[in-house]
Amino acid sequence: MTAPPTVDRRPAPVVPPPAPVKRRVRRVRGGGLGTVVFLLPMLVVFGLFSWAPIVQSVVMSFQETNLVTAPTFVGLDNFRAVLADPLLWTAVRNTLWFAVLALLLGYPIPLVAAVLMSEVRRFKGLYSTLAYLPVVIPPVVAVLLWKFFYDASPTGVFNTLLGSVGLGPVPWLQDASTAMVSLVIEATWAAAGGTVIIYLAALTGVPPELYEAAEIDGASVWGKVWHVTIPRLRGVLLITFILQIVGTAQVFLEPFLFTGGGPANSTTTILLLIYNYAFANSLGGDYGSATALSLMLAVVLGVLSAVYFRLTRSWSAS
Amino acid sequence: MKSIAVLAVATAVLAACSGGGATSADGKTVVNVSLDPGLEQGAIDAFNARVAAFESANPTIDLVPREYKWDATTFTTQLAGGTLPDVFTVPFTDGRGLIERKQIADISGQVAALPYAGKFSKEVAKAGSTDNGKMWAVPIAAHGQALHYNRTLFTQAGLDPDKPPTTWDEIRADAKRIAEKTGQAGFAMMTSGNTGGWIATTLAYAFGGRTEQLDGDHAKSTVDSPEMVKALQAVKAMRWDDNSMGANFLYEWGTINQDFAAGRIGMYVSGGGNYGSLKAQNAMKPEDYGVAALPLTGGANAGVLGGGTLAAVSAKAPEPVKAAAVKWIDFYYLEKLTTKDAAVADAKTTADSGQAVGSPELPVFDKAAFDERMTWIAQYVNVPVKQMTPYTDKMFDQPLVPEPTRSTQQVYALLDPVVQSVLTDRGADIPGLLNGVQTQAQALLDKK
Amino acid sequence: MSDRGVLSSFDWRRGRVRGTARVVHTVLLVLLFLAGLGPVLWLAKSAITPTQDTLRDPLALWPHGFDFANLATAWTRVQIDKYFLNTVLIAAGAWLVQLLVATTAGFALSVLRPRYRKVLAGVVLATLFVPSVVLLVPLYLTVVDLSMINTFWAVWLPAGANAFNILLVQRFFDNLPREVFEAARVDGAGPFRLFWSVVLPMSRPILGVVSVFAVIAAWKDFLWPMLVLPDPAVQPLSVRLPALQRFIELDVFLAALAISTVIPVALFLAFQRLFLNGGALSGAVKG
Repeated sequence: MTAPPTVDRRPAPVVPPPAPVKRRVRRVRGGGLGTVVFLLPMLVVFGLFSWAPIVQSVVMSFQETNLVTAPTFVGLDNFRAVLADPLLWTAVRNTLWFAVLALLLGYPIPLVAAVLMSEVRRFKGLYSTLAYLPVVIPPVVAVLLWKFFYDASPTGVFNTLLGSVGLGPVPWLQDASTAMVSLVIEATWAAAGGTVIIYLAALTGVPPELYEAAEIDGASVWGKVWHVTIPRLRGVLLITFILQIVGTAQVFLEPFLFTGGGPANSTTTILLLIYNYAFANSLGGDYGSATALSLMLAVVLGVLSAVYFRLTRSWSAS
Repeated sequence: MKSIAVLAVATAVLAACSGGGATSADGKTVVNVSLDPGLEQGAIDAFNARVAAFESANPTIDLVPREYKWDATTFTTQLAGGTLPDVFTVPFTDGRGLIERKQIADISGQVAALPYAGKFSKEVAKAGSTDNGKMWAVPIAAHGQALHYNRTLFTQAGLDPDKPPTTWDEIRADAKRIAEKTGQAGFAMMTSGNTGGWIATTLAYAFGGRTEQLDGDHAKSTVDSPEMVKALQAVKAMRWDDNSMGANFLYEWGTINQDFAAGRIGMYVSGGGNYGSLKAQNAMKPEDYGVAALPLTGGANAGVLGGGTLAAVSAKAPEPVKAAAVKWIDFYYLEKLTTKDAAVADAKTTADSGQAVGSPELPVFDKAAFDERMTWIAQYVNVPVKQMTPYTDKMFDQPLVPEPTRSTQQVYALLDPVVQSVLTDRGADIPGLLNGVQTQAQALLDKK
Repeated sequence: MSDRGVLSSFDWRRGRVRGTARVVHTVLLVLLFLAGLGPVLWLAKSAITPTQDTLRDPLALWPHGFDFANLATAWTRVQIDKYFLNTVLIAAGAWLVQLLVATTAGFALSVLRPRYRKVLAGVVLATLFVPSVVLLVPLYLTVVDLSMINTFWAVWLPAGANAFNILLVQRFFDNLPREVFEAARVDGAGPFRLFWSVVLPMSRPILGVVSVFAVIAAWKDFLWPMLVLPDPAVQPLSVRLPALQRFIELDVFLAALAISTVIPVALFLAFQRLFLNGGALSGAVKG
C-alpha cells in the first residue's frame, strides 16, 4: 500500500488535440436554438411556478390583497401586524417545542437502530423492510389511523393497551400537555424508517480497517462505536440534523389533521398559522400577513442554516 | 420569455379547462348546483330526480350537480379560487359580509319577481338582504338550536326517554347518571372549526346574555358577559366535577354527529333539524333519537339562537346563469315550501328514497304558511315524530334570537380556544380568557 | 462493502457478545414488528369489524363476527376507486412532468453547456434554499389566475419546479463518458438525437431514482392538492379521506383507509430493493 512511487520515464505519447473538431462542435453547442428548446420546459415551469411566486411573495408581503379590488401598498404594516399577533408567539413556542421533541425522540432512535441492524447476520432484509414500512404508508392514512388510536376514552386503542399493563388512560390529543408529544410520537414513527435506511447505507461505507486498528489498540465494542462509527458518520449526521430542524420548522400535516391547532392553540405551529391567515378565515384571506410570516420564517431558517454550516465546517469529515 | 410562457400555459389551460363554462355545446345555459357530500345512494337518486324534473321543465338549462358543503375553514379558499358552484348555500352568519364585499351576485331583481318575495319572515329576510331591503341571498331554511339526546342511553341509565331534562340542573344530573351507568359521555359540546364559539354563544343566549350589542353603526363585543361566564362554568362543572363529558373534546359539527349516532354521547346541543343528516350521513338508528327544547334559564332575555341557510349565486356568474340559478333556487329550495304540488312531490321523492321527511324546522315565511305546508306533507312524514315532541311542542313558544351580525364567524373562531381550555384545562380561568377574547373581538368589530 | 461491522469475527466468537447481540436483536425485531407491522395489521383487522366492536373492544379479534360489507361499501358508496384513480393520475402526470423538466434541463446544462449555464444553474439551485412555505400563497394565486383550479395541471406543473431533480440528473450526466458524445457528434448527431438515442438510454439508474422520488412525493402530497382541488370529484385519496371521515361510519371509514394502504404497501413489498436503494441514494447525495 505504501510502495515508493514509480516514475514512468518513457516519453509521453503525443496526441494532437482535435482542435478543429472541437471548435466546430462548440459552435453547435453553445447556446444555439437546440439548447434553448431543451431549456424551455425548465424555464417555463420554474419561471411560472418557482421564480415568479418567490418574487411575488416578497411583493405581496408589503401589500394588502383582497380579492375584489387591486392590491394596495402598505409598507411594513403586515409585518407589524404579524409581530403583534399574540398567536404568533404561541406558534413559535409550539414549533420550537415540536422541533426539540422531534430531535430528542427522532434523532437518536434511527441511529441506534441502524447501528444495531448493521450487525444483524440473518434476515437483515426483514429488519429493513419492517423499519421502512411506516414510511410507505401514506401520511394522511397514518395520521387518521393514529387519530383513532389516540382516542382518549378508556376504550381507545392505546389506552386499552396501557390499561392491560395497569397504566391509566392518557388524554393524548385532548390535553395541552400531551397533545404535542402525541404528534411527535406519530411523526417520528412515520419518518424514522427513512433515516434508518440512510444511516445503514452510510454505515457500510465505514472501512473495516479502522475497526481493526481500534481493536489492535484494545477498544471495546462500545469504544469502537464511539470512536470509529460515529465520527465516520459525521457528515451524514450533520446533514440529517439540519434537515430535521428545517423540516420540523415547517410541520403542518400533523397539527392540521390531528387537532386543528388545539386544544386551545397548544399545537398551532407557524405553518398552521400561515395557513389560517391565508385560507381559513371565513370571508377573507389575509394574504399579506401570510406572505409576511412565511418570509420571516424563510429568513430565520436561512440564517440558521448559514450559521450551522459555518460552525460545522470544521467538524465535518467531508 | 414571458410570452413563450404565456403561450405554453395558454395551450395547457385550454386543454384542461373544466366545467364552469356558461354555455354547453348545444347552447344550453349551464348552471353548477350544489349537492351535499357523503350522501347515501337513495338521497343522491332523489336529488337527481329533481334535477331531471327541472331540466324537462326548462329545456334551455343544463344543470351540473357538484358536491358542496359550507365549511368555515374551506369556504374562503373556494370563494377565492372561484370554485364554488354557481348556486351554493351559506349560513345566515355569512350573508351580510358576503353582500357587503360583493362576493355574491346581486339577484335582488330576479328574486323580487318571485310570487312570494314579500312573504319572508322579517328576521329571516334580513339575513340575506342589504340595508335597503334588496335580497341578494334567499333564505331557504331556518332552525333554532335544540338539545339532542340518545333515548337508548337514557333508558340504559335508568332515565325516562320521554321526559328529557327541562332545566340546566336536570341536564347536569342526567349527564352524570348516563356517565356513571353507561360509561359514555353524558353531555358533549362542539369545540373546533368555529363551532365552539357557535355553541358557546348558544349557551350564553340560553342563560340570558348576548355576545354583541349594536348601537347604531357601532358594535360592542360582550363575549365576557356574566351570562357567558355562567354558561361556561356550568360546562366546566360537568366536565371536571362530574366527569360526565367523556374523554374526547375536539369535536366539530360532523364529528359530534358521528359520535352521537354511534351511541357515544348522551346529549348535545346543535341545530334542531339534525335528524336528517344524522340518518343520511351517520347511519343513526331512528329508535335512538330524541330531541328536546333547549332549556332557557336566563329570565326574560333568554332565547334560542336562531340560524338558517341562505342560497346565493356566485358573483362570477354571467347574466343568463344568474337568471337560471334563481329559477333553480325557486324550484329546488323554495317551491316545496310554498306550493302544494311541489311540496307533495318533494316529500314523496324524498320519502321514497328512504330519506327523512319532517325533521323539525322553523318557518321561513310566516307560521300560517308553515302550518299549511305541514298538512300537505303529513302523509309522507317518516321521522319518529313522537320522539321529537319534547322539542316540536315547545319550539314556537321559545323566543328566537338571531345570531350576532358582525364578524360572526371570526368571533366564533376566537371563542373556540376558550371552550377547548374549559374542557381540557382544569385550571382554566374563564373570566380571564373571555376578557382576552373580548379585546380581540372588539378590535375586529372596530376594524369594520 | 465490508463484510463486518463494529463486531469482528473474534467478537462473535465470544459467548457474552453473541448472547447480548442475540437478545438485543430479538428485542429489536419484536419492536420493529410491533411498530412497523402492528398498525397495519390492526387496520386490516378493523376493516372487517363492525363499528361497535371497534369502539368498545378495539384489540379483540372479531368478538361478534366479520363485517365484509365494509369493504364493499367503501368501494361503492365511498367510491375509493374514483379517488384512487385520481391519485394514480396525479402521480403519473407529476412523474412525467418531473422527468421531462429534469432530463431536458440536466442535458442542456451538462452536455450542451451553453455559455450562460453557470447563471442558470445558480438560479435553479438557489430555489433549493427557499422553504416551500414561501411559495404557498403566491403559487395558489398564480394557479387561480391561470384558471387551473380543479384541474390536474395545478398539481402536475408546479411539481416540475424541483431543483433537486435537476441537480441529481445534471450530476449524473456530468459523470457520463464524454467520448460517447463526441463519437455521436462526429457521426452527425444533433442535440435531439444525442438526447434521445444516446444520453437517455444510458440514464436508466438516475431516471429510476427520480421516478421513485416523484411518485412517492405525489402520492403523499396533501396540502397543495387540498388547496387547488376543492372539487371532490378530482381529489386524490390523501385529500378526500379526512373530509370523508366526518360523514361515514367508523367501520366503513377504516375499510377505506385499509384499501388506500394496500397498493403502496404492496408496491413496496414487491419493489423493496428500489425503495430502499432510492432512500439510501438520497442520503448519499445529501451527505
